[in-house]
Amino acid sequence: MSEEWTIVDSGTYSEATQQALERVLLDRVETGEIGPTLRVWYRESPAVALGRFQAYADEVAVEYVEREGIDVVRRITGGGAMFVQPGAVVTYSLYLPADLVSDDIRGSYADLDGWAIEALQELSVDAYHEPLNDIAHAEGKIGGSAQRRTDGAVLHHTTMSYDLDIAEMLRVLRIGEEKVSDKAIASAEKRVARIADHVDVSRSVVIDALKRRVRKREGATERSLTDDELANARGLVEEQFDTDEWNRQLRRD
Amino acid sequence: MTPRVSKKVPDGKLVRVEIDVEARIEDVTITGDFFVEPPEARSELEAAIEGHNANADHQTILSALETVDATLIGFSIDDLADLTMEALDE
Repeated sequence: MSEEWTIVDSGTYSEATQQALERVLLDRVETGEIGPTLRVWYRESPAVALGRFQAYADEVAVEYVEREGIDVVRRITGGGAMFVQPGAVVTYSLYLPADLVSDDIRGSYADLDGWAIEALQELSVDAYHEPLNDIAHAEGKIGGSAQRRTDGAVLHHTTMSYDLDIAEMLRVLRIGEEKVSDKAIASAEKRVARIADHVDVSRSVVIDALKRRVRKREGATERSLTDDELANARGLVEEQFDTDEWNRQLRRD
Repeated sequence: MTPRVSKKVPDGKLVRVEIDVEARIEDVTITGDFFVEPPEARSELEAAIEGHNANADHQTILSALETVDATLIGFSIDDLADLTMEALDE
């Protein structure tokens, strides 16, 4: 079994393919086909990544997302709904053999968020871990993480706001629904801290800082996804991640 | 009746419990932004609450939930028993 770290920092995919890749790469770490891996995400279109246990109709403004054609895709991880736009967030995943991750779940969130927090601090953004699974700044939440544990492997993925359109987020997610007055919107906006509001660097500089942390600690080499990994993910998109049966389960009618 | 109640667990996550109840608890749906490992255990937690009498007490529900082998993160089976009681009171 390979203990060599690799970094995958290429490939732009639909939200369904992205979420399918989580299943594929976690399973391949579990079987030992691949070693510890960091993957950086590039998206095709705005989307909502729904938590595994959330009810579709509780989280998204159904009429709006249907009218705007915004993909809503359920993750294999628990946690909350995230609105994402291409180029406006930084999402990365760590797929790790279980023996590299603390059994203590709370502690492991702090450990694995640590990569991103150190990267942000290196760029002089005062980010810190806020239990259980948030990356925070004095002005609000920068991002959140979620984990899925199998017998032999752990997936830890994190999405951070770079310059997300918060007004659009409030139209897409139902957290924005009761916020009718400007004052209320202002208070909701305060809960999101965006990296670009705190440091004048491009998104790729943030990603490079994250990759640098991993390279420095683990000596990782870069690779692309294999044709087989992508074919596997595309199969799962058809079977699961692009189906209403998966994405809209727990729907409240 | 299908009462639906929710709770933001202090230092934890949001949990919603919806029950379909007649003389007995027919159907239960547990949703929220919590974590459960393994994920399939969420349905087992629902099944543990289902079938009990509409006037079941907290301890009965809690004991049933205790039989489910799951790791709950961001909430507890106590929270689920509390929410079930609250839903039954509606």
